[in-house]
Amino acid sequence: MKRALDAGFILCMECHAVNRMDPTQSEAGQTCVRCHAAVYPRSPNSLMRTWALLLTAAMLFIPANMLPIMVVSSFGKDSGDTILSGVIALIHYDMVPIALVVFIASILVPTFKLVGMGLLLYSIQRHQPLSARQRGYMFRFIEWIGRWSMLDIFVIAILVSLVSFGSIAQITAGPGAIAFALVVITTMLAATTFDPRLIWDNTESEEDHD
Amino acid sequence: MTHTMETPPAGELDLAKLSLEQLLICHECDLLMAKPHLQDGEKAECPRCGYEVDRHQPHMVQRSLALVLAALIFYLPANFMPIMSLGLLGQKNDDTIWSAVKALYLSDMAVIALIVFLSSMLIPLIKLLTQLWVLLILQLNGSARFGLWLYRTYHHMREWGMLEVYMFGVLVSIVKMIDLGDLSLGLGLACFVGLLVSQIWLEATMNDHQVWEMLEEQRNRQAVDEVIDEACA
Repeated sequence: MKRALDAGFILCMECHAVNRMDPTQSEAGQTCVRCHAAVYPRSPNSLMRTWALLLTAAMLFIPANMLPIMVVSSFGKDSGDTILSGVIALIHYDMVPIALVVFIASILVPTFKLVGMGLLLYSIQRHQPLSARQRGYMFRFIEWIGRWSMLDIFVIAILVSLVSFGSIAQITAGPGAIAFALVVITTMLAATTFDPRLIWDNTESEEDHD
Repeated sequence: MTHTMETPPAGELDLAKLSLEQLLICHECDLLMAKPHLQDGEKAECPRCGYEVDRHQPHMVQRSLALVLAALIFYLPANFMPIMSLGLLGQKNDDTIWSAVKALYLSDMAVIALIVFLSSMLIPLIKLLTQLWVLLILQLNGSARFGLWLYRTYHHMREWGMLEVYMFGVLVSIVKMIDLGDLSLGLGLACFVGLLVSQIWLEATMNDHQVWEMLEEQRNRQAVDEVIDEACA
């Protein structure tokens, strides 16, 4: 098994064209022969950028869970719901399946993404002998599932426009929703700045990785 | 019919003798391979990590054109006709995708309004328009150089359009509100489902590997034509 990098070829990450490595400017980056995007042997500072976005997301995750994401006002009474209290309320109203969906999308998935990406970065930096194939699957799963956390934000958007009956009943979005939306966006950005080819570097010594 | 073939790794191949067009690199794990010759309906997977590295789909451009047009027809009613309505004590409220954005903006949540507007309305529209334009360039022999730039732009926006997540949001909202008041579903919801189905089908049909290759071939052809034209002039 031979890496393209060792054979002097670079893949364009945008259009997947094969490029011959230009030894005179491999550091500065060359442009793709097909789509003219900048191509690098490995995305520059991929690990640092991904760490930065991941830490930002982890910090935003705290207010996202502590502050109310939705406020229901009815006959002059306000009650705020955080992500968790919203899930608990759904269970109380006997809507367990929906509670499960919201719990998975809003709590489980973001937590899994933060921990999973962190583990991925750590294992690459420490050259941990984790199975490369497994790490690859994990990354692809994290990349795919990220957008589904936006579910709660869309539900809030729909409810805000649906339930606006003046003083009788009114739903508004809370400050936690802003923090939560930013968590989703920063973790999605973290997945895009991560260069998946790094997972497979340093696996040469253990050919039986799958 | 799709059948999967394993690609021979380029370990024993004399790489110096192969041209760039005969090589393939896995996007996920950087493995270098010789490019297999695919028949219609076949696809190739990386032998190391299992990622799809090539695929060949018959009548790709025409099928994709039909689907992108269908999606664009559904776009306006899906966004501006009521998804559902809620009646409470004689009052009735309509919810459209656009009204949700507006309501968030008016309740001082401009950041959320912007995020919802981008991911559920603007980016899905721009994605469809760039796809349409690229397909027309391929079909009518337009400027492939511009086509390559457009298709790159499309790829930057790809995962930020979130129609299918919105659909789930609609379902969750329906279940949450059904006992609260007099809930009725609108024509906008049917159009939204139409938009979503044609868009997902389109993304499965419009095959990246083929589009990039066709654009490149077309650009090279056009570049040769330009040189010939200049020589003749």
